[in-house]
Amino acid sequence: MIRNYFKIALRNLSKNKGFSFINIFGLAVGITCASMIFLWVEDEIRFDDYFANKDSLYKVKTFLPNDSGTKTYDATPGLLAASMQTDIPGVVNTARSSVSNQELFSVNEKNFYVKGNFVDPSFLDMFQLNFLEGSASSAFNQLNSVVLTQKLAYKIFGSTKNIIGKTIQVDTDRQYVVQGIIEDLPDNTSFDFEWVAPFKLYENDNEWLKYWASLGVNTFVQIKANTDVSVINKKLYDYISTKQDGAIAKIELYPMTRWRLYDTFENGKEIPGRIKYVKLFSLIAWIILIIACINFMNLSTARSQKRAGEVGVRKVLGAGKSGLIFQFIGESLITALLSALLAVGLLFLLLPFFNLLIEKELSVNIFDPLHLGILLGITLLCGLISGIFPAFYLSSFKPVKVLKGLKIKEGSAVWVRKGLVVAQFSISVILIISTILIYQQIQHVKDRNLGFDKQHLVYIDVNENIQKNVEPIKNSLLQSGFVENVSLSTNTPLFKGSTTSNFNWQGKDPEKQVLITFEGVSPDYIKSMGIKLKEGRDFYPNIETDSSSILINKSFAKLTGLNDVVGSTIQFQDQPLTVIGVVDDFVYNNLYEKSTPLMFYASEYGNYLNIRFKRNADLSKALPALKNIMEENNPSYPFEYKFVDEQFEKSFKTETLIGELAGIFAAIAILISCLGLFGLAAYTAEQRKKEIGVRKVLGASVRNLVGLLSKDFLKLVVISCIISFPLAWWIMKDWLQDYEYRIDIGWWVFAVAGILAVLIALITVSFQAIKAAIANPVKSLRTE
Amino acid sequence: MLLELNNIFKWVTQGGSRIFLLKDINLQVEEGEFISIMGPSGSGKSTLLNVIGMLDNFQEGEYKFLDESVHSMKEKNRSKLYKEYIGFVFQAYHLIDELTVYENIETPLLYKNVKSSERKALVADMLDRFNIVGKKDLFPSQLSGGQQQLVGVARALIAKPKLILADEPTGNLNSKQSEEIMQLFKELNQAGVTIIQATHSETNAAYGSRTLHLLDGGRNHI
Repeated sequence: MIRNYFKIALRNLSKNKGFSFINIFGLAVGITCASMIFLWVEDEIRFDDYFANKDSLYKVKTFLPNDSGTKTYDATPGLLAASMQTDIPGVVNTARSSVSNQELFSVNEKNFYVKGNFVDPSFLDMFQLNFLEGSASSAFNQLNSVVLTQKLAYKIFGSTKNIIGKTIQVDTDRQYVVQGIIEDLPDNTSFDFEWVAPFKLYENDNEWLKYWASLGVNTFVQIKANTDVSVINKKLYDYISTKQDGAIAKIELYPMTRWRLYDTFENGKEIPGRIKYVKLFSLIAWIILIIACINFMNLSTARSQKRAGEVGVRKVLGAGKSGLIFQFIGESLITALLSALLAVGLLFLLLPFFNLLIEKELSVNIFDPLHLGILLGITLLCGLISGIFPAFYLSSFKPVKVLKGLKIKEGSAVWVRKGLVVAQFSISVILIISTILIYQQIQHVKDRNLGFDKQHLVYIDVNENIQKNVEPIKNSLLQSGFVENVSLSTNTPLFKGSTTSNFNWQGKDPEKQVLITFEGVSPDYIKSMGIKLKEGRDFYPNIETDSSSILINKSFAKLTGLNDVVGSTIQFQDQPLTVIGVVDDFVYNNLYEKSTPLMFYASEYGNYLNIRFKRNADLSKALPALKNIMEENNPSYPFEYKFVDEQFEKSFKTETLIGELAGIFAAIAILISCLGLFGLAAYTAEQRKKEIGVRKVLGASVRNLVGLLSKDFLKLVVISCIISFPLAWWIMKDWLQDYEYRIDIGWWVFAVAGILAVLIALITVSFQAIKAAIANPVKSLRTE
Repeated sequence: MLLELNNIFKWVTQGGSRIFLLKDINLQVEEGEFISIMGPSGSGKSTLLNVIGMLDNFQEGEYKFLDESVHSMKEKNRSKLYKEYIGFVFQAYHLIDELTVYENIETPLLYKNVKSSERKALVADMLDRFNIVGKKDLFPSQLSGGQQQLVGVARALIAKPKLILADEPTGNLNSKQSEEIMQLFKELNQAGVTIIQATHSETNAAYGSRTLHLLDGGRNHI
């Protein structure tokens, strides 16, 4: 019996090649698409699974309340880890880690900038780093030790063997001895260090670690199994104020299981982070699958007239309804299975491109029980979703009516079919609109007036060498003819790190705690950034004269409420500072927000050297010149630089990716929907062959007929637009809420999406309509 | 007694008034009979056959098949009954286009859950008996009308029914093919199969042992 069904299914598939293609290809594209998304979702969900203790590991989050809302940081006092381990029951182990440090490693005259962290020895245990050489227990026995990842060991030494005990020159002034090699961490972990070294080294250099008031290191905590973390958190919340009078910082443990997908805080509360996109794309995966299943349903019921005879005969020959349902569902399962096979092929073909796009290393392993299970699950589900309605519909035909050759009344099936087409196109239109709006929003932010000139601007990390030679470097750069301006700053042009609430001025509400960003810059900074000076003056070239002068931005000036802010005095703790000028607001940190209050003070030290090239400078010549100068003055370090505009582009990575993916999925949704429409149009044309023949004989033109055939479908697309416009508007309005600097949703976006959908549908349908309309009527009339 | 129809009425309601498809039909069929049903188009020949074949319902009257009351039977038992005892032959053959000759003949056995080896033997016998062994792998569209109806009859016979219901079995055939099929029916009848056929043709009706005349509105004359 099964074999019989199987044969019938295959013969039906091969007999109706066109429709089988639409069904199988459409479903295969859907499954491929969904599989790629699910692979990505798996990668996200399994983030940090590398660490066996994932479920008992936490990091300490710090909350700093101020009047504009609570800020949340990963930074904690250096004293916290040891202290809480003795004070708080349930805490098994703690470890500190410095924030990622970039250091220069030199071996045999070869130089490498490498990222790493200084960590407590307990870190090695808690995260169970896998030692290939050396051991976790002995690696940090000596102070000047370092543990390398396998990859870094290869990079530096060309091998992982016999490296223990070798010396690495660090930043020209220190030496570390390699005490261990660990396995590389996979990409989907929260850490990206290439080396770890004892925290003690960091502690010795950083006096502030001895104070409760200074926040700056990460603290990781392992808790006892089956301990209620909320109990620990209750004890921790005010813990810092028990150590330091008047401390405002509150702390809490934050589980590793949430680091990747949730770790986003607004005003001290966790808000949906990356999980938003994981959910969104999972939803899109299902939607695309359903769109593909809809094609199958629609084409099956549309073809019911053809299958009706078979149903009648089978019933007369003794088939029960359940047997027929089984047969038809079986057919859709076979179709789904063929689609899945094709999808696996497509997946292997397309996954590398998808990886390139999302910058991950996803791979599919068809023999992995999870992957195989999910693929079979999807296949089964698709087969069932697409098969159930047609199966019940087809198997309900009464044999007497069918065999008499009566036209079966389609009734419910017609409405279901129309409804499903509307659903498909509504989704497609929503995706089109979303794509346009996301693209617009990104463009909007990219094009916004940043308040400074990001073009032709590079920055270089400053080390002691550069700091010492900053004047000669500056002079040679200016003399090279390519460079207009050079300046030093504490932070990079786009991101400023330091904030304080310790500013006071006349008329300030003493209750109010306002965080103000402060940034040390050399006197040329404003000019080299292209920031506009609104009032007052810039710093004088001679720093001494401006040692207590500050420049503030417009938003800070507004905050003070002072009329003549230039010349007024602002207190920093006990130190009076004179405002010498106000600069225009410029964008930093959050590129989607207005700029927050900020002040510049003059400093001859900086972590970054900002170099502004002349507007007409040929960069292909300017960069080698810059390289030469840097190598001359800073010989032992490799030359590295970053363009500000490139960094700016990079900060849109998530949004750009979302935009690109939305575009791809919109295209796929449209493609699959149109495949279905194409099939339906073909059936309609065939069903109405006789009518078309008669009309043609009676004198209808090809244009009349194409209109006649296309009209019904276009109506459905128009209805889809009416349904999807408000939905899309609502969804995208919600999305845009996340961005303070955002576009208004223009009506033309809807017009474009609507016209696009109608146009695509028209092209799809009219192909069949024209074919039917130009056919010779004699042929179609003769067949009856 | 194979079957018995007593005072069968079947009607549809249209615009408030009843249109009778079958009106007071009485019929007794003994095993081994060969009955022809005649009457003009629309007189209810097919409807009667469908009622006898349990494919269609009726509003009033009683129907006994092998002493079981069909009219009060549940759908499931009814379908069991006709699966077991009744075979159908249609004017338009109604073969399944996607199945070969062999598979078409085999299908009723599948629905009766006959074992594979037994199925093979039965189908092979049937192909042999009808001289269509050479055509067993062809699809219906590759056969002439007469051959298709031959397959149709073979398929009706494969499950060894007591009763064959044939609705204008030769309606789509030329006279030579038609004669062959009727001859075949005659032989089957002689072998013990009860046959009820609906027909327009006096010639074909003459093959039967008795003829039932239906007038418009379905009242029968014997």
